[in-house]
Amino acid sequence: MDMPLFDILMRCFHIAFALIWVGHNYASVVQNPHFRPFNAETSEDARTAALETRMQREHGTFRYAAIVVWVSGMGMLWYRGWLEDVLTLSGPYAVIGIGAWIGTLMMLNLWLIMWPHQKKVLGFTPAPLEERVRCSRITFLSSRTNTILSMPLLFFMAAGSHNPQLFM
Amino acid sequence: MKLPHDSLQGTLIAGSLLTVVLYLMVHMLISNAG
Repeated sequence: MDMPLFDILMRCFHIAFALIWVGHNYASVVQNPHFRPFNAETSEDARTAALETRMQREHGTFRYAAIVVWVSGMGMLWYRGWLEDVLTLSGPYAVIGIGAWIGTLMMLNLWLIMWPHQKKVLGFTPAPLEERVRCSRITFLSSRTNTILSMPLLFFMAAGSHNPQLFM
Repeated sequence: MKLPHDSLQGTLIAGSLLTVVLYLMVHMLISNAG
């Protein structure tokens, strides 16, 4: 494969899947601006096989989008020979480096904290009612933590490319 | 316990403050290195 084409493809994947992932997170903020504990009555009454399939697809889409974003981002840094300088926050690479580390934290937060709890809340994994209520709080905080982290993430990613003079 | 995460305003303020703090830190890091 022609390597500039690789860079262009990775950039396209990175931007498109970042929009899917972070866009999903922002949509969740709009739908649920405040924490509402898991409610078995309303949640289970509305549950149908079609809804379950839709929820699985929705949650799978943004979870795997996060992996595509991370892999394509690291792929671009590797291709350009920037990876080590970025991850060690060397000189001007610190700008995109902070973005890369925040993005890594967000992906780990999604997969290691949010998802194990969310699958209990949504009933993908069986769990007692008290556990589902407890997990709904953790899921909410984990999701909003990613909302908070997305703000510096987007700033550093955009500023690193378009406004490097801001940091000089 | 109420956290900044519990309201839209709190979330936006926490994200903005974190952005400013990190910006100042990176600015100092790069200025000192240069």
